[in-house]
Amino acid sequence: MSTDTRTPGHPADGAGYTLDVSAVPPVPLARLVEVEARKVVDTRAGFWFGLGVLGLVTLAVVLGGLFFEDTGQTYETLLSVAGGTLGYFLPVLVMLLVTSEWSQRTGLSTFTLEPRRSRIVVAKLIAGFAFSAVGVIYAVVLAAVGVLLSPVNGGGMDWSLGVAPVRSLVLSTVISVLVAFALAMLVRNSPAAIVGYFLYTLVLPGVAAVLGELISGLKSVIPWIEFNTAQGPLFADDMSPTGEQWAQLVVSGTIWLVIPFVLGLTRLLRAEVK
Amino acid sequence: MIEIRHLSRTYGGFTAVDDVSFRCEPGRVTGFLGPNGAGKTTTMRILVGLTPPSAGTATIGGHRYADLPNPGRHVGVLLDAGAQHVGRTGREILTLAARTMGLPSERVEEMLATVGLTDDEAKRRLRHYSLGMKQRLGIAYALLGDPQVLILDEPANGLDPAGIRWMRDLLRGYARRGGTVLLSSHLLHEVELVADEMVVIGRGRIVAQGDRATLMAQHSGVASIVSATDPTALQQALVAAGRTAVPAETPGSLRVDCSPVEIGRLALEHRLVLTELRDGAAGLEELFLELTADTQREGVLEGATA
Repeated sequence: MSTDTRTPGHPADGAGYTLDVSAVPPVPLARLVEVEARKVVDTRAGFWFGLGVLGLVTLAVVLGGLFFEDTGQTYETLLSVAGGTLGYFLPVLVMLLVTSEWSQRTGLSTFTLEPRRSRIVVAKLIAGFAFSAVGVIYAVVLAAVGVLLSPVNGGGMDWSLGVAPVRSLVLSTVISVLVAFALAMLVRNSPAAIVGYFLYTLVLPGVAAVLGELISGLKSVIPWIEFNTAQGPLFADDMSPTGEQWAQLVVSGTIWLVIPFVLGLTRLLRAEVK
Repeated sequence: MIEIRHLSRTYGGFTAVDDVSFRCEPGRVTGFLGPNGAGKTTTMRILVGLTPPSAGTATIGGHRYADLPNPGRHVGVLLDAGAQHVGRTGREILTLAARTMGLPSERVEEMLATVGLTDDEAKRRLRHYSLGMKQRLGIAYALLGDPQVLILDEPANGLDPAGIRWMRDLLRGYARRGGTVLLSSHLLHEVELVADEMVVIGRGRIVAQGDRATLMAQHSGVASIVSATDPTALQQALVAAGRTAVPAETPGSLRVDCSPVEIGRLALEHRLVLTELRDGAAGLEELFLELTADTQREGVLEGATA
Protein backbone atom coordinates (compact mmCIF):
# COMPACT_ATOMS: atom_id res chain seq x y z
CA MET A 1 0.00 0.00 0.00
CA SER A 2 1.46 3.33 -0.96
CA THR A 3 -0.91 6.09 -0.05
CA ASP A 4 0.22 9.50 -1.17
CA THR A 5 1.10 11.48 1.90
CA ARG A 6 2.30 14.58 0.07
CA THR A 7 0.40 17.78 0.38
CA PRO A 8 -1.32 18.77 -2.86
CA GLY A 9 0.37 21.30 -5.06
CA HIS A 10 3.84 20.44 -3.87
CA PRO A 11 6.32 22.01 -6.32
CA ALA A 12 8.37 18.90 -7.03
CA ASP A 13 5.39 16.59 -7.06
CA GLY A 14 6.15 13.33 -8.80
CA ALA A 15 9.08 11.00 -9.14
CA GLY A 16 11.74 10.94 -6.49
CA TYR A 17 9.39 11.19 -3.54
CA THR A 18 8.59 7.54 -3.15
CA LEU A 19 11.10 4.75 -2.76
CA ASP A 20 10.63 1.87 -5.13
CA VAL A 21 11.53 -1.09 -2.99
CA SER A 22 10.21 -3.79 -5.30
CA ALA A 23 13.59 -4.49 -6.90
CA VAL A 24 15.35 -5.35 -3.65
CA PRO A 25 14.32 -8.64 -2.01
CA PRO A 26 14.16 -8.93 1.78
CA VAL A 27 17.19 -10.20 3.68
CA PRO A 28 16.92 -14.01 3.67
CA LEU A 29 17.01 -15.71 7.07
CA ALA A 30 19.99 -17.86 6.06
CA ARG A 31 22.06 -14.72 5.56
CA LEU A 32 21.07 -13.39 8.97
CA VAL A 33 22.06 -16.72 10.55
CA GLU A 34 25.41 -16.62 8.76
CA VAL A 35 26.06 -13.07 9.98
CA GLU A 36 25.06 -13.93 13.55
CA ALA A 37 27.32 -16.97 13.53
CA ARG A 38 30.16 -14.86 12.20
CA LYS A 39 29.71 -12.36 15.02
CA VAL A 40 30.46 -15.10 17.56
CA VAL A 41 34.02 -15.58 16.34
CA ASP A 42 34.99 -12.33 14.61
CA THR A 43 36.22 -10.54 17.72
CA ARG A 44 39.44 -11.45 19.47
CA ALA A 45 37.51 -12.19 22.68
CA GLY A 46 34.97 -14.37 20.89
CA PHE A 47 37.58 -16.25 18.91
CA TRP A 48 39.72 -17.10 21.93
CA PHE A 49 36.71 -17.93 24.04
CA GLY A 50 35.57 -20.50 21.46
CA LEU A 51 39.05 -21.90 21.04
CA GLY A 52 39.55 -21.94 24.81
CA VAL A 53 36.39 -23.97 25.34
CA LEU A 54 37.43 -26.53 22.73
CA GLY A 55 40.89 -26.68 24.29
CA LEU A 56 39.49 -27.23 27.76
CA VAL A 57 37.17 -30.01 26.58
CA THR A 58 40.08 -31.64 24.77
CA LEU A 59 42.29 -31.41 27.82
CA ALA A 60 39.62 -32.93 30.09
CA VAL A 61 39.02 -35.90 27.80
CA VAL A 62 42.69 -36.54 27.02
CA LEU A 63 43.53 -36.50 30.73
CA GLY A 64 40.62 -38.86 31.34
CA GLY A 65 41.77 -41.22 28.59
CA LEU A 66 45.30 -41.26 29.95
CA PHE A 67 44.88 -41.28 33.70
CA PHE A 68 41.33 -42.27 34.77
CA GLU A 69 40.79 -45.62 36.50
CA ASP A 70 39.90 -48.36 34.04
CA THR A 71 36.25 -48.18 35.03
CA GLY A 72 36.21 -44.47 34.20
CA GLN A 73 37.63 -44.90 30.75
CA THR A 74 34.51 -46.13 29.04
CA TYR A 75 33.26 -44.19 26.05
CA GLU A 76 30.21 -43.30 28.08
CA THR A 77 32.16 -41.68 30.91
CA LEU A 78 34.48 -39.78 28.63
CA LEU A 79 31.51 -38.50 26.64
CA SER A 80 29.92 -37.22 29.84
CA VAL A 81 33.19 -35.51 30.80
CA ALA A 82 33.31 -33.75 27.41
CA GLY A 83 29.62 -32.92 27.53
CA GLY A 84 29.82 -31.66 31.09
CA THR A 85 32.65 -29.27 30.28
CA LEU A 86 30.84 -27.99 27.21
CA GLY A 87 27.69 -27.60 29.26
CA TYR A 88 29.31 -24.81 31.27
CA PHE A 89 30.48 -22.77 28.34
CA LEU A 90 28.06 -23.24 25.43
CA PRO A 91 25.31 -21.31 27.27
CA VAL A 92 27.73 -18.44 27.88
CA LEU A 93 28.57 -18.28 24.17
CA VAL A 94 24.86 -18.24 23.33
CA MET A 95 24.13 -15.52 25.91
CA LEU A 96 26.89 -13.27 24.58
CA LEU A 97 25.30 -13.56 21.14
CA VAL A 98 22.28 -11.71 22.56
CA THR A 99 23.72 -9.47 25.27
CA SER A 100 26.62 -8.05 23.23
CA GLU A 101 24.08 -6.24 21.04
CA TRP A 102 23.35 -4.13 24.11
CA SER A 103 26.61 -4.24 26.02
CA GLN A 104 28.57 -3.29 22.89
CA ARG A 105 25.68 -1.25 21.46
CA THR A 106 25.87 -3.06 18.12
CA GLY A 107 22.09 -3.42 18.30
CA LEU A 108 21.86 0.04 16.78
CA SER A 109 23.28 -1.35 13.53
CA THR A 110 21.79 -4.82 13.75
CA PHE A 111 18.24 -3.59 14.22
CA THR A 112 18.44 -0.86 11.61
CA LEU A 113 19.67 -3.31 8.96
CA GLU A 114 16.86 -5.69 9.94
CA PRO A 115 14.08 -3.83 11.73
CA ARG A 116 12.00 -7.01 12.06
CA ARG A 117 13.64 -7.91 15.34
CA SER A 118 11.96 -11.29 15.65
CA ARG A 119 13.98 -12.43 12.61
CA ILE A 120 17.20 -11.46 14.37
CA VAL A 121 16.07 -13.42 17.43
CA VAL A 122 15.36 -16.50 15.29
CA ALA A 123 18.71 -16.11 13.49
CA LYS A 124 20.54 -15.87 16.81
CA LEU A 125 18.76 -18.92 18.18
CA ILE A 126 19.61 -20.93 15.07
CA ALA A 127 23.24 -19.76 15.19
CA GLY A 128 23.39 -20.65 18.90
CA PHE A 129 22.09 -24.15 18.22
CA ALA A 130 24.49 -24.55 15.29
CA PHE A 131 27.45 -23.82 17.56
CA SER A 132 26.01 -26.17 20.17
CA ALA A 133 25.69 -28.92 17.53
CA VAL A 134 29.31 -28.41 16.56
CA GLY A 135 30.24 -28.70 20.25
CA VAL A 136 28.23 -31.89 20.75
CA ILE A 137 29.68 -33.50 17.61
CA TYR A 138 33.16 -32.54 18.76
CA ALA A 139 32.44 -34.15 22.15
CA VAL A 140 31.27 -37.37 20.48
CA VAL A 141 34.44 -37.59 18.36
CA LEU A 142 36.71 -36.55 21.21
CA ALA A 143 35.34 -39.19 23.59
CA ALA A 144 36.37 -41.81 20.99
CA VAL A 145 39.90 -40.38 20.96
CA GLY A 146 39.92 -40.67 24.76
CA VAL A 147 38.99 -44.35 24.51
CA LEU A 148 41.81 -44.90 21.99
CA LEU A 149 44.21 -43.36 24.53
CA SER A 150 42.98 -45.51 27.41
CA PRO A 151 45.42 -48.49 26.82
CA VAL A 152 48.26 -46.18 27.84
CA ASN A 153 47.53 -46.81 31.52
CA GLY A 154 46.18 -50.30 30.96
CA GLY A 155 42.60 -49.58 29.98
CA GLY A 156 40.73 -52.04 27.79
CA MET A 157 39.16 -49.70 25.21
CA ASP A 158 35.58 -49.95 26.38
CA TRP A 159 33.37 -48.75 23.52
CA SER A 160 30.09 -49.65 25.12
CA LEU A 161 27.51 -46.96 24.56
CA GLY A 162 23.82 -46.83 25.15
CA VAL A 163 21.29 -44.42 23.75
CA ALA A 164 20.85 -42.75 27.13
CA PRO A 165 24.15 -40.81 27.41
CA VAL A 166 23.85 -39.31 23.94
CA ARG A 167 20.21 -38.48 24.51
CA SER A 168 21.08 -36.86 27.83
CA LEU A 169 23.86 -34.82 26.26
CA VAL A 170 21.65 -33.51 23.49
CA LEU A 171 18.69 -32.89 25.77
CA SER A 172 20.68 -31.08 28.46
CA THR A 173 22.39 -28.96 25.80
CA VAL A 174 19.09 -27.93 24.25
CA ILE A 175 17.55 -27.05 27.61
CA SER A 176 20.57 -25.12 28.88
CA VAL A 177 20.89 -23.17 25.63
CA LEU A 178 17.21 -22.22 25.77
CA VAL A 179 17.38 -21.16 29.43
CA ALA A 180 20.53 -19.12 28.74
CA PHE A 181 18.95 -17.50 25.69
CA ALA A 182 15.85 -16.55 27.69
CA LEU A 183 17.94 -15.08 30.49
CA ALA A 184 20.06 -13.13 28.00
CA MET A 185 16.98 -11.61 26.36
CA LEU A 186 15.61 -10.73 29.76
CA VAL A 187 18.63 -8.91 31.22
CA ARG A 188 20.41 -7.81 27.97
CA ASN A 189 23.67 -7.25 29.81
CA SER A 190 26.68 -9.59 29.46
CA PRO A 191 28.07 -9.73 33.02
CA ALA A 192 24.61 -9.89 34.61
CA ALA A 193 23.54 -12.70 32.28
CA ILE A 194 26.66 -14.80 32.95
CA VAL A 195 26.51 -14.36 36.71
CA GLY A 196 22.78 -15.03 36.69
CA TYR A 197 23.21 -18.19 34.65
CA PHE A 198 25.87 -19.66 36.93
CA LEU A 199 23.83 -18.80 40.01
CA TYR A 200 20.95 -20.67 38.43
CA THR A 201 22.91 -23.78 37.37
CA LEU A 202 25.60 -24.06 40.03
CA VAL A 203 24.35 -22.40 43.19
CA LEU A 204 20.57 -22.76 43.08
CA PRO A 205 20.35 -26.61 43.03
CA GLY A 206 22.73 -26.90 45.99
CA VAL A 207 20.96 -24.25 48.01
CA ALA A 208 17.62 -25.85 47.21
CA ALA A 209 18.89 -29.26 48.33
CA VAL A 210 20.23 -27.90 51.62
CA LEU A 211 17.06 -25.95 52.32
CA GLY A 212 15.07 -29.09 51.49
CA GLU A 213 16.94 -30.97 54.19
CA LEU A 214 16.58 -28.22 56.76
CA ILE A 215 12.99 -27.18 56.30
CA SER A 216 10.45 -29.91 56.71
CA GLY A 217 7.93 -30.11 53.92
CA LEU A 218 10.07 -28.14 51.49
CA LYS A 219 11.83 -31.16 50.02
CA SER A 220 8.75 -32.37 48.21
CA VAL A 221 8.07 -28.90 46.87
CA ILE A 222 11.55 -28.30 45.39
CA PRO A 223 11.15 -30.39 42.21
CA TRP A 224 8.09 -28.31 41.43
CA ILE A 225 9.89 -25.00 41.62
CA GLU A 226 13.53 -25.79 40.86
CA PHE A 227 14.14 -26.64 37.18
CA ASN A 228 17.57 -28.28 37.60
CA THR A 229 16.24 -30.67 40.22
CA ALA A 230 13.17 -31.46 38.16
CA GLN A 231 15.34 -32.38 35.16
CA GLY A 232 17.04 -35.21 37.09
CA PRO A 233 14.66 -37.96 35.94
CA LEU A 234 15.13 -36.88 32.30
CA PHE A 235 18.76 -37.91 32.41
CA ALA A 236 18.21 -41.27 34.11
CA ASP A 237 19.20 -44.26 31.98
CA ASP A 238 15.66 -45.39 31.32
CA MET A 239 14.35 -41.85 30.94
CA SER A 240 10.93 -42.66 32.20
CA PRO A 241 9.78 -39.89 34.48
CA THR A 242 6.58 -40.66 36.29
CA GLY A 243 3.45 -38.68 35.63
CA GLU A 244 4.20 -36.56 38.66
CA GLN A 245 7.79 -35.94 37.50
CA TRP A 246 6.53 -34.81 34.09
CA ALA A 247 4.18 -32.44 35.86
CA GLN A 248 7.10 -31.13 37.93
CA LEU A 249 9.11 -30.59 34.72
CA VAL A 250 6.26 -28.66 33.18
CA VAL A 251 5.70 -26.48 36.26
CA SER A 252 9.35 -25.70 37.01
CA GLY A 253 10.09 -25.38 33.28
CA THR A 254 7.35 -22.80 33.01
CA ILE A 255 8.87 -20.84 35.86
CA TRP A 256 12.49 -20.97 34.72
CA LEU A 257 12.22 -21.25 30.93
CA VAL A 258 8.83 -20.40 29.44
CA ILE A 259 8.05 -17.28 31.46
CA PRO A 260 11.56 -15.75 31.18
CA PHE A 261 11.62 -16.56 27.46
CA VAL A 262 8.26 -14.93 26.74
CA LEU A 263 9.01 -11.92 28.95
CA GLY A 264 12.50 -11.51 27.51
CA LEU A 265 11.28 -11.81 23.95
CA THR A 266 8.50 -9.29 24.51
CA ARG A 267 10.92 -6.81 26.02
CA LEU A 268 13.49 -7.32 23.28
CA LEU A 269 10.94 -6.81 20.52
CA ARG A 270 9.59 -3.60 22.06
CA ALA A 271 12.49 -2.09 23.93
CA GLU A 272 14.21 1.02 22.71
CA VAL A 273 17.58 0.15 21.22
CA LYS A 274 20.04 2.57 22.77
CA MET B 1 11.36 11.83 0.64
CA ILE B 2 11.46 11.92 4.41
CA GLU B 3 8.14 12.93 5.87
CA ILE B 4 7.66 13.49 9.56
CA ARG B 5 4.16 14.37 10.67
CA HIS B 6 3.03 15.40 14.13
CA LEU B 7 5.61 13.21 15.77
CA SER B 8 5.69 13.09 19.56
CA ARG B 9 7.54 11.00 22.08
CA THR B 10 7.07 11.23 25.81
CA TYR B 11 9.01 9.54 28.60
CA GLY B 12 6.79 9.56 31.64
CA GLY B 13 6.02 13.23 32.16
CA PHE B 14 8.88 14.41 29.94
CA THR B 15 8.18 15.27 26.32
CA ALA B 16 11.33 14.66 24.27
CA VAL B 17 9.69 15.30 20.89
CA ASP B 18 6.62 17.49 20.73
CA ASP B 19 4.42 17.51 17.62
CA VAL B 20 7.31 17.68 15.17
CA SER B 21 6.57 17.91 11.45
CA PHE B 22 8.97 18.49 8.58
CA ARG B 23 10.07 16.94 5.32
CA CYS B 24 13.32 16.40 3.50
CA GLU B 25 13.43 16.74 -0.28
CA PRO B 26 15.51 14.68 -2.70
CA GLY B 27 18.53 16.54 -4.04
CA ARG B 28 18.77 18.64 -0.93
CA VAL B 29 20.65 18.54 2.31
CA THR B 30 18.41 19.22 5.29
CA GLY B 31 20.17 20.38 8.43
CA PHE B 32 18.50 19.41 11.68
CA LEU B 33 19.69 21.97 14.15
CA GLY B 34 19.23 22.41 17.84
CA PRO B 35 21.02 22.52 21.18
CA ASN B 36 21.95 19.31 22.97
CA GLY B 37 18.94 17.45 24.27
CA ALA B 38 16.50 19.28 21.99
CA GLY B 39 15.07 16.05 20.54
CA LYS B 40 17.14 15.62 17.36
CA THR B 41 18.40 12.15 18.13
CA THR B 42 15.06 10.90 19.43
CA THR B 43 13.38 12.12 16.23
CA MET B 44 15.97 10.30 14.10
CA ARG B 45 15.71 7.16 16.19
CA ILE B 46 11.95 7.12 15.72
CA LEU B 47 12.49 7.65 11.98
CA VAL B 48 14.51 4.42 11.72
CA GLY B 49 12.31 2.40 14.04
CA LEU B 50 14.64 2.07 17.03
CA THR B 51 12.28 4.03 19.27
CA PRO B 52 8.51 3.74 19.01
CA PRO B 53 6.71 7.11 18.72
CA SER B 54 4.02 8.11 21.20
CA ALA B 55 2.09 9.80 18.39
CA GLY B 56 2.48 10.78 14.77
CA THR B 57 4.16 9.13 11.78
CA ALA B 58 7.52 9.10 10.12
CA THR B 59 7.94 7.73 6.61
CA ILE B 60 10.76 7.47 4.12
CA GLY B 61 9.72 7.49 0.48
CA GLY B 62 6.17 6.67 1.56
CA HIS B 63 7.19 3.66 3.67
CA ARG B 64 7.58 3.17 7.38
CA TYR B 65 11.24 2.33 7.88
CA ALA B 66 10.35 -1.01 9.46
CA ASP B 67 8.45 -1.96 6.30
CA LEU B 68 11.50 -1.64 4.05
CA PRO B 69 12.44 -5.21 3.04
CA ASN B 70 16.19 -4.55 3.03
CA PRO B 71 16.47 -1.07 4.55
CA GLY B 72 20.24 -0.80 4.26
CA ARG B 73 19.89 -0.72 0.47
CA HIS B 74 17.65 2.34 0.56
CA VAL B 75 18.52 4.30 3.67
CA GLY B 76 22.00 4.86 5.07
CA VAL B 77 21.93 5.44 8.81
CA LEU B 78 24.61 6.74 11.14
CA LEU B 79 23.32 7.43 14.62
CA ASP B 80 26.42 6.80 16.72
CA ALA B 81 29.76 5.92 15.13
CA GLY B 82 30.94 4.53 18.45
CA ALA B 83 28.11 2.00 18.70
CA GLN B 84 30.11 -0.89 17.28
CA HIS B 85 31.93 -3.78 18.93
CA VAL B 86 35.31 -2.40 20.01
CA GLY B 87 36.92 -5.78 19.37
CA ARG B 88 36.02 -5.85 15.67
CA THR B 89 38.21 -4.46 12.94
CA GLY B 90 36.87 -1.65 10.79
CA ARG B 91 36.77 -3.94 7.79
CA GLU B 92 34.89 -6.63 9.69
CA ILE B 93 32.26 -4.13 10.84
CA LEU B 94 31.60 -3.19 7.21
CA THR B 95 31.74 -6.82 6.11
CA LEU B 96 29.00 -7.85 8.55
CA ALA B 97 26.76 -5.11 7.16
CA ALA B 98 27.63 -5.98 3.56
CA ARG B 99 26.82 -9.65 4.18
CA THR B 100 23.49 -8.72 5.77
CA MET B 101 22.55 -6.52 2.81
CA GLY B 102 23.78 -9.09 0.30
CA LEU B 103 26.62 -6.99 -1.12
CA PRO B 104 29.93 -8.31 -2.46
CA SER B 105 33.08 -7.81 -0.39
CA GLU B 106 34.49 -5.47 -3.08
CA ARG B 107 31.90 -2.95 -1.93
CA VAL B 108 33.57 -2.88 1.48
CA GLU B 109 36.95 -2.05 -0.06
CA GLU B 110 35.30 0.60 -2.25
CA MET B 111 33.78 2.33 0.75
CA LEU B 112 36.98 2.15 2.79
CA ALA B 113 38.69 3.96 -0.07
CA THR B 114 35.86 6.49 -0.38
CA VAL B 115 36.18 7.58 3.23
CA GLY B 116 39.97 7.47 3.14
CA LEU B 117 40.66 4.65 5.58
CA THR B 118 43.89 2.89 4.65
CA ASP B 119 44.31 -0.86 4.52
CA ASP B 120 46.32 -0.69 7.71
CA GLU B 121 43.61 1.29 9.49
CA ALA B 122 40.90 -1.08 8.26
CA LYS B 123 42.76 -3.96 9.91
CA ARG B 124 42.83 -2.20 13.28
CA ARG B 125 40.21 -2.90 15.90
CA LEU B 126 37.69 -0.18 16.69
CA ARG B 127 39.14 0.15 20.20
CA HIS B 128 42.21 1.76 18.57
CA TYR B 129 40.26 4.18 16.37
CA SER B 130 40.28 7.92 16.94
CA LEU B 131 36.93 9.71 17.01
CA GLY B 132 37.58 11.00 13.48
CA MET B 133 38.34 7.51 12.18
CA LYS B 134 35.17 6.19 13.78
CA GLN B 135 33.18 8.91 12.03
CA ARG B 136 34.73 8.01 8.68
CA LEU B 137 33.95 4.36 9.26
CA GLY B 138 30.41 5.35 10.22
CA ILE B 139 30.03 7.28 6.96
CA ALA B 140 31.34 4.26 5.03
CA TYR B 141 28.80 2.16 6.91
CA ALA B 142 25.96 4.51 5.95
CA LEU B 143 27.01 4.66 2.29
CA LEU B 144 27.61 0.92 1.97
CA GLY B 145 24.24 -0.06 0.54
CA ASP B 146 24.31 2.76 -2.05
CA PRO B 147 21.19 4.29 -0.45
CA GLN B 148 18.95 7.05 -1.83
CA VAL B 149 18.54 8.55 1.62
CA LEU B 150 21.13 9.38 4.28
CA ILE B 151 20.27 9.95 7.94
CA LEU B 152 23.28 11.16 9.93
CA ASP B 153 23.31 12.19 13.58
CA GLU B 154 26.13 14.63 14.37
CA PRO B 155 28.38 13.22 11.62
CA ALA B 156 30.94 16.01 11.88
CA ASN B 157 31.47 15.35 15.58
CA GLY B 158 35.16 14.65 16.13
CA LEU B 159 36.29 15.51 12.62
CA ASP B 160 39.12 17.97 12.14
CA PRO B 161 38.55 21.02 9.89
CA ALA B 162 39.81 19.14 6.83
CA GLY B 163 37.51 16.26 7.72
CA ILE B 164 34.55 18.60 8.07
CA ARG B 165 35.25 20.06 4.63
CA TRP B 166 35.57 16.55 3.19
CA MET B 167 32.23 15.58 4.71
CA ARG B 168 30.62 18.74 3.36
CA ASP B 169 31.84 18.03 -0.17
CA LEU B 170 30.76 14.42 0.08
CA LEU B 171 27.23 15.30 1.21
CA ARG B 172 26.91 18.08 -1.38
CA GLY B 173 27.93 15.68 -4.15
CA TYR B 174 25.56 13.07 -2.83
CA ALA B 175 22.62 15.49 -2.82
CA ARG B 176 23.55 16.82 -6.29
CA ARG B 177 23.17 13.29 -7.63
CA GLY B 178 19.60 13.28 -6.29
CA GLY B 179 20.13 11.86 -2.82
CA THR B 180 18.19 13.01 0.22
CA VAL B 181 20.26 13.97 3.26
CA LEU B 182 19.09 14.64 6.79
CA LEU B 183 21.94 15.58 9.09
CA SER B 184 21.78 16.85 12.61
CA SER B 185 24.13 19.10 14.50
CA HIS B 186 24.19 21.33 17.51
CA LEU B 187 26.74 23.55 15.79
CA LEU B 188 25.38 26.06 13.32
CA HIS B 189 28.58 26.58 11.39
CA GLU B 190 28.82 22.86 10.60
CA VAL B 191 25.40 22.93 9.02
CA GLU B 192 24.97 26.35 7.43
CA LEU B 193 27.58 25.79 4.73
CA VAL B 194 26.19 22.51 3.54
CA ALA B 195 22.47 22.57 4.27
CA ASP B 196 19.95 23.79 1.69
CA GLU B 197 17.17 23.61 4.21
CA MET B 198 17.29 24.01 7.94
CA VAL B 199 14.97 22.71 10.59
CA VAL B 200 15.59 24.27 13.99
CA ILE B 201 14.39 22.39 17.03
CA GLY B 202 14.39 23.47 20.65
CA ARG B 203 13.01 21.59 23.64
CA GLY B 204 11.27 19.08 21.43
CA ARG B 205 9.46 21.61 19.23
CA ILE B 206 10.27 22.93 15.79
CA VAL B 207 10.96 26.64 16.19
CA ALA B 208 11.83 27.51 12.59
CA GLN B 209 12.34 25.88 9.22
CA GLY B 210 13.16 26.85 5.68
CA ASP B 211 16.18 27.77 3.61
CA ARG B 212 18.62 30.38 4.82
CA ALA B 213 16.90 33.32 3.13
CA THR B 214 13.47 32.32 4.38
CA LEU B 215 14.72 31.90 7.92
CA MET B 216 16.37 35.31 7.90
CA ALA B 217 13.39 37.03 6.31
CA GLN B 218 10.89 35.47 8.69
CA HIS B 219 12.72 35.75 11.93
CA SER B 220 15.03 38.70 11.90
CA GLY B 221 13.75 42.21 11.37
CA VAL B 222 15.24 44.91 9.14
CA ALA B 223 17.96 46.95 10.82
CA SER B 224 20.91 49.17 9.97
CA ILE B 225 24.03 50.33 11.74
CA VAL B 226 24.85 53.97 11.07
CA SER B 227 27.15 56.73 12.31
CA ALA B 228 27.69 60.29 11.19
CA THR B 229 30.06 63.23 11.76
CA ASP B 230 27.20 64.93 13.61
CA PRO B 231 25.56 62.24 15.75
CA THR B 232 23.06 64.60 17.37
CA ALA B 233 21.71 65.81 14.03
CA LEU B 234 21.50 62.22 12.80
CA GLN B 235 19.57 61.17 15.87
CA GLN B 236 17.16 64.09 15.52
CA ALA B 237 16.57 63.37 11.84
CA LEU B 238 15.86 59.71 12.55
CA VAL B 239 13.46 60.47 15.39
CA ALA B 240 11.71 63.07 13.23
CA ALA B 241 11.25 60.38 10.58
CA GLY B 242 9.61 58.16 13.20
CA ARG B 243 12.48 55.70 13.58
CA THR B 244 13.91 54.23 16.75
CA ALA B 245 17.63 54.72 17.12
CA VAL B 246 19.55 53.02 19.92
CA PRO B 247 23.30 52.90 20.55
CA ALA B 248 24.90 50.00 18.68
CA GLU B 249 27.66 47.73 20.04
CA THR B 250 30.37 49.90 18.45
CA PRO B 251 30.62 53.24 20.29
CA GLY B 252 29.27 56.21 18.37
CA SER B 253 27.13 54.04 16.08
CA LEU B 254 23.38 53.76 16.15
CA ARG B 255 21.19 50.73 15.49
CA VAL B 256 18.11 51.77 13.58
CA ASP B 257 14.99 49.77 12.69
CA CYS B 258 14.96 50.45 8.96
CA SER B 259 16.91 49.55 5.83
CA PRO B 260 20.22 51.26 4.89
CA VAL B 261 18.55 52.72 1.77
CA GLU B 262 16.06 54.63 3.85
CA ILE B 263 18.80 56.08 6.05
CA GLY B 264 20.81 57.04 2.98
CA ARG B 265 17.84 59.03 1.65
CA LEU B 266 17.31 60.63 5.03
CA ALA B 267 20.97 61.65 5.22
CA LEU B 268 20.79 63.22 1.75
CA GLU B 269 17.67 65.15 2.70
CA HIS B 270 19.28 66.51 5.86
CA ARG B 271 22.73 66.96 4.26
CA LEU B 272 24.42 64.72 6.83
CA VAL B 273 27.86 63.16 6.35
CA LEU B 274 27.71 59.46 7.17
CA THR B 275 30.86 57.69 8.30
CA GLU B 276 29.29 54.24 8.41
CA LEU B 277 26.18 52.64 6.99
CA ARG B 278 25.57 48.93 6.85
CA ASP B 279 23.00 46.16 7.23
CA GLY B 280 22.47 45.53 10.91
CA ALA B 281 20.21 42.50 10.68
CA ALA B 282 21.13 39.68 13.02
CA GLY B 283 23.29 36.92 11.55
CA LEU B 284 22.18 33.34 11.34
CA GLU B 285 24.06 32.60 14.50
CA GLU B 286 22.28 35.25 16.54
CA LEU B 287 19.06 34.04 15.01
CA PHE B 288 19.82 30.45 16.03
CA LEU B 289 20.67 31.48 19.57
CA GLU B 290 17.60 33.65 19.77
CA LEU B 291 15.28 30.96 18.41
CA THR B 292 16.53 28.38 20.84
CA ALA B 293 17.29 30.80 23.67
CA ASP B 294 14.56 29.66 25.99
CA THR B 295 15.62 26.08 25.41
CA GLN B 296 19.31 26.51 26.19
CA ARG B 297 20.60 25.60 29.61
CA GLU B 298 21.99 29.10 29.96
CA GLY B 299 18.56 30.47 29.08
CA VAL B 300 16.87 28.26 31.62
CA LEU B 301 19.11 29.70 34.30
CA GLU B 302 18.21 33.25 33.40
CA GLY B 303 14.56 32.35 33.32
CA ALA B 304 14.76 30.90 36.81
CA THR B 305 15.70 34.24 38.32
CA ALA B 306 12.88 36.09 36.60
